[in-house]
Amino acid sequence: MGMRDYILRRAFSCVITIFAVITINFFLFRVMPANPVDILVSPLQGMERLSQSVREQMIKDLGLDKPLWEQYIFYLKDVLTGNFGKSFIVPRNVLDIIGERFVNTMVLMFTGNVVSIFLAIVLGVIAAWKRGGKFDISSLISALTLSSMPMFWVGGIILLIFSVRLDWFPLYGTVSIGARHANFFEYIADYGHHLILPAITTALVNFGGLFLIMRSSLLDVFTEDYIQTSRAIGIQNRTIIFKNALRNAMLPLITIVAIRLGFMVSGAVLTETVFSWPGLGLTIYNSVNTRDYPVLQGIFLIITIIVVLTNFIADVIYGYADPRIRVGTNSRG
Amino acid sequence: MIKITETKLSFYKKRIKSFVGRFLESRLGLIGVFILVFFIFISVFANYLSSYPISATKGNPRDRLLPPNRKYLLGTDEMGRDLATQIMYGGRISLAVGFLAAIISGVIGTAVGLAAGYFRGRVEDLFMRITDIILVIPGLPLMIVLAAILGTSFWNIILVISVIGWTGTARVVRAQVLSLKERPFIESVKAIGASDFRILLYHLLPNVFPLIVAQMVLRIGNAILTEASLSFLGLGDPTIISWGMILHWAFSVGALSANYWWYIIPPGICITLVALGFTFVGYALDQIVNPRMRMR
Repeated sequence: MGMRDYILRRAFSCVITIFAVITINFFLFRVMPANPVDILVSPLQGMERLSQSVREQMIKDLGLDKPLWEQYIFYLKDVLTGNFGKSFIVPRNVLDIIGERFVNTMVLMFTGNVVSIFLAIVLGVIAAWKRGGKFDISSLISALTLSSMPMFWVGGIILLIFSVRLDWFPLYGTVSIGARHANFFEYIADYGHHLILPAITTALVNFGGLFLIMRSSLLDVFTEDYIQTSRAIGIQNRTIIFKNALRNAMLPLITIVAIRLGFMVSGAVLTETVFSWPGLGLTIYNSVNTRDYPVLQGIFLIITIIVVLTNFIADVIYGYADPRIRVGTNSRG
Repeated sequence: MIKITETKLSFYKKRIKSFVGRFLESRLGLIGVFILVFFIFISVFANYLSSYPISATKGNPRDRLLPPNRKYLLGTDEMGRDLATQIMYGGRISLAVGFLAAIISGVIGTAVGLAAGYFRGRVEDLFMRITDIILVIPGLPLMIVLAAILGTSFWNIILVISVIGWTGTARVVRAQVLSLKERPFIESVKAIGASDFRILLYHLLPNVFPLIVAQMVLRIGNAILTEASLSFLGLGDPTIISWGMILHWAFSVGALSANYWWYIIPPGICITLVALGFTFVGYALDQIVNPRMRMR
């Protein structure tokens, strides 16, 4: 089977997944609850009573009076043309809100995860090379402990120590409120100062799982014959690790990161909420508490599609890098 | 007939003995069991161990937000309730959510895995496609959406966690069934005309059961962590107290910026230790029963 077939097959499954997610999203918000009108039109029960005429107008605007299949077609059209509707709370388009918050989430996830991937590789190599040694066991237990901690609690403790007690870092946000930045660099410095604690939390949260996978895939590589032979004929350890082993272990890392992307997004929701970092995660939290369903639905759809596409790209890269994968009938096992 | 059951019994006895022996060799597994026994004990006997009543609404208004002292070993919350009592009772809910969610997702995962591994073809394609889709959707956002729509109650939280959490078990079970199916003993029961249902239930299920248990144990800790995250985000059942809900109240009364450390630290330590305990035990079990793990 050639590369083209492989990519086509992956693309097909990627399209099916996205289609399934859009469909799930549609039915979740319309069919499952007792009355979709109440969910979509008047979520603020008690706070703000909609008059009958306003209610009917909204039902008409949202097309909720039409048959379900027609609504579904409209929904598909809307989603594919980037129309995610309006927020219930602020008079803005959902897509504008997402666009504004997206960058903050990307910056946080990128910095945090670069750190944790780097740490996972370095510590994973040392641990797997001296398998069963003191370093291996202690880092294994630390990684297991880290991944047993509630992520938001880790963030809270970090905030408690470094912002509340030591007062080294700000408590919330991306820049100091009311601060005037003389130039762009001052703005970046302020932003960076706010970024440090959430980024450390993100790194800690994702380190545990990444380390465990990195270690076990390196163990596989280290027990292979060519590594054993290299060791036996006296090639320097450093050469073996960096020239042979790491190269082969980096390959699965692409897939690992792609697969764990969903987990990383989940971590971002919690970290952003703890540090009031105005990204998509904090917006999810806020829209849950204000029952702003269009925003919730829109963000959920966007991040899921991004994760699915990233997985597809990872599959393609993997297919180019490792010819074996193209031959297998089912790369996902 | 009697003879056969006797040999069967001694066979199981031997297997259990060797299993216990190997488990006792695992230091991590033992530490895990020790941690879990402790927390299950204080949760189950919370009503005997605590000298304060448990209440979702009422406390002692004169003793609000006191740091740990002789009267209140772990301090009090914003309503003047004893936090040690809350934590002991909270353990009941957190553990119950963990166990129930793990059992439900274990049952779903087993059914899907057995069917996908045994029937192949269309059934397998469909089930594995669904599994892949759920695996790729970011878990927490999906659970948030589900919980926000279904509403926040004890059973809804369990349902939401279970609906997402079965995929791992399904994959492990399917992989094992695929290899078991080719073994002679399955082929021979097929040859004497056993029905698919009979083969699945009496011959395949008992053989994958140890794996399922190991997966379930690993899931319990995960479910407890997920419950805590959902509660923290305001999606927990406000009428009951779990460790996650205690943290939720702590965060919402501003315990962080006000430096009420005694309100924040202990519930988190409980969650971490219990999740770690289940991970250790599950890891030790997996080492014994999972053929793929035996080499490590």
